[in-house]
Amino acid sequence: MAEPADLARPTSSGPGRVLVAVYGIFALSATARAGVQIAGKFSEAPVAYLLSALAGVVYILATIGLAGRGPRARRLAWAAVGFELVGVLVVGTLTVLDAGDFPDDTVWSVYGRGYGFIPLVLPIVGLWWLTRTRPRRNAT
Amino acid sequence: MIDALVIVVIVVTGALAVFGLVLTALNRTPDRTLRLAVTAVVALLVVQAVIAAVPVLSGGVTLPETSTFLIYLVVSVCVLPIGLQFATAEPTRWGGTVVAATAVGTAVAVLRLQGLWQAGVGNAGG
Repeated sequence: MAEPADLARPTSSGPGRVLVAVYGIFALSATARAGVQIAGKFSEAPVAYLLSALAGVVYILATIGLAGRGPRARRLAWAAVGFELVGVLVVGTLTVLDAGDFPDDTVWSVYGRGYGFIPLVLPIVGLWWLTRTRPRRNAT
Repeated sequence: MIDALVIVVIVVTGALAVFGLVLTALNRTPDRTLRLAVTAVVALLVVQAVIAAVPVLSGGVTLPETSTFLIYLVVSVCVLPIGLQFATAEPTRWGGTVVAATAVGTAVAVLRLQGLWQAGVGNAGG
């Protein structure tokens, strides 16, 4: 066929730069917060603080994946953003049902209420953007 | 921290966010005016960070979460310059929105800083 084999648009181009910037801000703030929690008062709520650290790592990986170019970066972005959506849904649901297991708020507690529910909206927008920019082998 | 300065910082970061969004709406790439505006806001944030850090580091003010406070101070100063760099690396209309997002993030960090500060000052009884 005459069409180029890979018509993928870079995820970090155009409006995607806004997405990368927001992911970057969350990567920075979630990691910094988890670092302080784990360094200073880990014994108070180890599960919540480990979860904060996990969320921070996921945001870092999503930022790297979305900011990068090529199929490897795209796979990383899919995995990180997908994990993020599962994470915010599972942790959100658990915290709504039983707040007792989470004595300290994490980024994903109550679907990210402490962060204006952006942690819930962000992975949905991220997955939509990855779908929109994905390679198309046949022009439609 | 000085309450009046916090209010000024919130207002100028909010104005910067609106400015960035207007650039995107008008389909314009980040221009010299936006760079100057970001530089001015960052200068203000540096002044605020110094004013807030000195009493904390010298022991004049005791806060419940000193390390969190200091990290947020650094974040409040660093996010906008990095955001501007990222916004101008690819000159499209979306650069303005990138700056707007970092401006909002900075404003949230400053509000959080003020919350931590007031918790400390309240405990000290003045």
